[in-house]
Amino acid sequence: MQSEQKNPDALVDMIDIHKYFGSVQVLRGVDFHVDRQEIVGLLGDNGAGKSTLIKVLTGFHTLTRGQIYFDGDAVSINSPHDARELGIETVHQDLALVPLMSIARNFWLGQEPTYQVGPFRFLDKNKMASESIHALADVGIHIRDSEETVGTMSGGERQSIAIGRAVYFGKKLLILDEPTSALSVGETQKVLDYTIAAKEKGMSVIFITHNIRHVYEVADRFTIIERGHKLGDFYKSEVSENEVADMIVTGQIPERLRLYAENLGESA
Amino acid sequence: MMQAYLDRKTEGSALGTAITLLMSAFALLGAAAAYLILFGWLPLGERVNVLRSDINIYETIVAIGAILYAAACLRTAVGLRQRERASLRWSQWMLFLTAMLGGVILLSVIIPTLLKFALLLGQNIDLRAVINENSLAAAALAIGEGLISISLLLLSLLALLALFVFLIPPLEPLREVEGIRYIVAPPRRLIQAIVLVFAVGIVFMLIAGVYAVPLYPGVTKIRDIEEHRLLAGLLIFVPALLGYRQVRQVREESDELRRAVALTPGKFIRSELAKSPSAGAIIGFIAIFMAFTMATDLFLEPSSIASFLSNVATKGVIAIGVTYLMISGEFDLSVGSILGVTALSFMLFMTEGAPVVGVLDPIPAAILAIFVALVLGAVNGILLITTRIPSFIVTLGTLLAYRAITLVAIAGGRILRYKDFYADFPVIAISNIVFVALAVIGLLLTLFSAYRVLPVLWRGARHAWSVQSDNGDFGTTSALARFVILAVVGLILLAILIWLGAVVSYHLSASGGQLVEVGYFDLFNGRVLAIGSEGDFFHLDIPRDANVRLAILWWFIFVAFFHVILMNTPFGNSIFAAGGNQGAARAQGVNVDRVKVQNFVIVAVLTGIAAIYETARNPGVDPLKGQGWELEVIAMTVIGGALLTGGYGSVVGSLLGALIFGMLQTGLVLVGIESRLFTGTVGVIIIAAVVLNTFVRGAQRN
Repeated sequence: MQSEQKNPDALVDMIDIHKYFGSVQVLRGVDFHVDRQEIVGLLGDNGAGKSTLIKVLTGFHTLTRGQIYFDGDAVSINSPHDARELGIETVHQDLALVPLMSIARNFWLGQEPTYQVGPFRFLDKNKMASESIHALADVGIHIRDSEETVGTMSGGERQSIAIGRAVYFGKKLLILDEPTSALSVGETQKVLDYTIAAKEKGMSVIFITHNIRHVYEVADRFTIIERGHKLGDFYKSEVSENEVADMIVTGQIPERLRLYAENLGESA
Repeated sequence: MMQAYLDRKTEGSALGTAITLLMSAFALLGAAAAYLILFGWLPLGERVNVLRSDINIYETIVAIGAILYAAACLRTAVGLRQRERASLRWSQWMLFLTAMLGGVILLSVIIPTLLKFALLLGQNIDLRAVINENSLAAAALAIGEGLISISLLLLSLLALLALFVFLIPPLEPLREVEGIRYIVAPPRRLIQAIVLVFAVGIVFMLIAGVYAVPLYPGVTKIRDIEEHRLLAGLLIFVPALLGYRQVRQVREESDELRRAVALTPGKFIRSELAKSPSAGAIIGFIAIFMAFTMATDLFLEPSSIASFLSNVATKGVIAIGVTYLMISGEFDLSVGSILGVTALSFMLFMTEGAPVVGVLDPIPAAILAIFVALVLGAVNGILLITTRIPSFIVTLGTLLAYRAITLVAIAGGRILRYKDFYADFPVIAISNIVFVALAVIGLLLTLFSAYRVLPVLWRGARHAWSVQSDNGDFGTTSALARFVILAVVGLILLAILIWLGAVVSYHLSASGGQLVEVGYFDLFNGRVLAIGSEGDFFHLDIPRDANVRLAILWWFIFVAFFHVILMNTPFGNSIFAAGGNQGAARAQGVNVDRVKVQNFVIVAVLTGIAAIYETARNPGVDPLKGQGWELEVIAMTVIGGALLTGGYGSVVGSLLGALIFGMLQTGLVLVGIESRLFTGTVGVIIIAAVVLNTFVRGAQRN
């Protein structure tokens, strides 16, 4: 079953996504899209299905029914590797970096620069060190020594390095999964700054959280998921922070926005 | 104070002058030592003949070291006299080194004394009677015993009271009572005082021991105690340590200088060690090596070193693979059984023959046996990733299952011996040219490393030379030091080149193109002397009684190879990532499952190779071959600094761990301690090494 792409200009367009685990229907026909250079706040209470939706997009789960378009092409994403090939980078709360490895090794993990000697490929350590420092400085992260282990750094610094890595490798879509839930106020602000820096470098960002206060400042649009359905898309200009917060909790669209939400769904 | 001295203020002048004089004295000492050695008054090692002018290689090296040391001390003294700021850092380092030297001399008396004392205690000699012959020793013994008993009595009293208060619940409210609180949490001072009393008691016991021990010379194999060294050691150690403590504290005004000076030698060494995963193993290796060297003359004999290297070489090869696996977060208990199965297959392929292939020559048999090991390892890995059972359980299962193979195949507890099938061990004729080719490969490798290393050192030294005037007072000296390092590295490489060249020319000239008869098994793991008709394949002067086996060479080659793979390739990076944080590794596109299966296969193949060594050394297989090896190999790996939880460790660490293991095994026997104590000692060492590793890594965090 091939459905039409609803948003031809969007970077990601997920149409009629269904995901069942056995008889449990976690996603029941969700439409979700991300435009280019847009920061989308993906919101919902715990268990609403927002993580499942993202895991479908990043290849951790294969979808039961539905279609994903990426960059205008219909794609099937069956593994994290596929998602990575497309240019989707995910920064998880605790799965971003390897604590016992150095910054440089973390930065290049999975796509290390090498030089060839006969049949063997060796790490180009000079390049690993110098380029990781430069690349991170580009997004405003200044590190002293690329040989320092990540384990000695704070949570905010780790998130920042993961974001800087995604920007450097020219990814098209950055997914931040609860990036700020364990961070202090100051660190949260830094992560939000880097998120905007990523957008300015041409990336789109999906910012998953259940804390509206963190994302309201930077997001352009909010998508609220409620029990496997999409409650609606709302541009920041249209809603207030409190209204979004209410919608997450109650799962109901306020009277004022109901008409708007329907229009948005049809025109999009 | 030293600051004031360098600023030419009066308050620090006394200390400054003292340190300057001390450095001059050490310079003189170094020069005197060099003189004595060079002119034969202070013989070291064995002499070819008694001529004083005929100095051997040890004496040359020590004399050169003494001259360099004297020069450095002199330079420091002159720098202090000229009030050059950098001389402060140099005096820190020189005093630190001197204190270490003095400490080593002291230890070389203390360690044999302690060991002898302990052994005498174990021999049921009535030490008390011996000590009582000397009134001073008797007094020391009495005081020591008294102090120790008092402290132990106090401690046990405290412990009993605390137990009493803790164990009886109705008494709980009593903790509020002032007096009882002291029992539950005794004041720090009290505990410290008790420990101090105990320590003083031990010191008195030691004094008594030192008096008693020489009354029994030659009871054990432990080196005789030379009391005159005690005085020399104290004369070097105490002033150097006091001086070091004085120059250590520095408060510099300028930021740059403070940073340069604040990194005292002690802190520098700690922070450097913290960068290595095997810090505990490095310290342990040095400590154990020095302890055995000091305790007995037998330990540094070529035959002892060869024997302990030969003993651990095969286990060391397996430890490399286990380290890989442990870094990737898994665990293999089945290596002992895999070793048994591989050895059995190797033997069967050569003697009774396998169903399809028939009876094989040793080399194809070895290859096929290693392939069997590979399959067993792959089974481990595939079981792990398909069932997701922890590797501890999976390999515990295969440990028992694989063992069943050898138990079933070799029924009735007999031993499958090669000699039961053939009268003689197989022999192969190899052309001399093969040896030449090997030596040429070695030559090329040496030239390549020279090409990589020397230019870097040369550029560094040239750069230091060109900026010597900008580098402050000691710029010239440190530039010269870099040239010295360059020269030493160059000379070592040159020596290797000359040796390999000699091998080539020997094989080309003496018996060019001839065939050399070599035992097949000797190729795998023979005595080096058994290779080539004259035993001169390596063209090295190895003593006849030294059991240098070829497996040692293979082992070192494997360590170098796998170290490079781990540290310098994308595959190594993914091993670290798979063990450090599986999720992150997966999210970055690392195929964690594949990495783990590959590591299980690597362990199994290395175990297979080790099995070939073991079988070649002693061509026979019993059904329990390799039993218990898995834990010994894991012990080596853990001593070497690998974390059981994954993500951390090093191949060099596993080498050091294996060496520590081997040194203990051989050393304890040489010293005369019962070998039954071996496992106990290893247990203590494992815990100590891991605690040390954690401690040093904690130091890095701060």
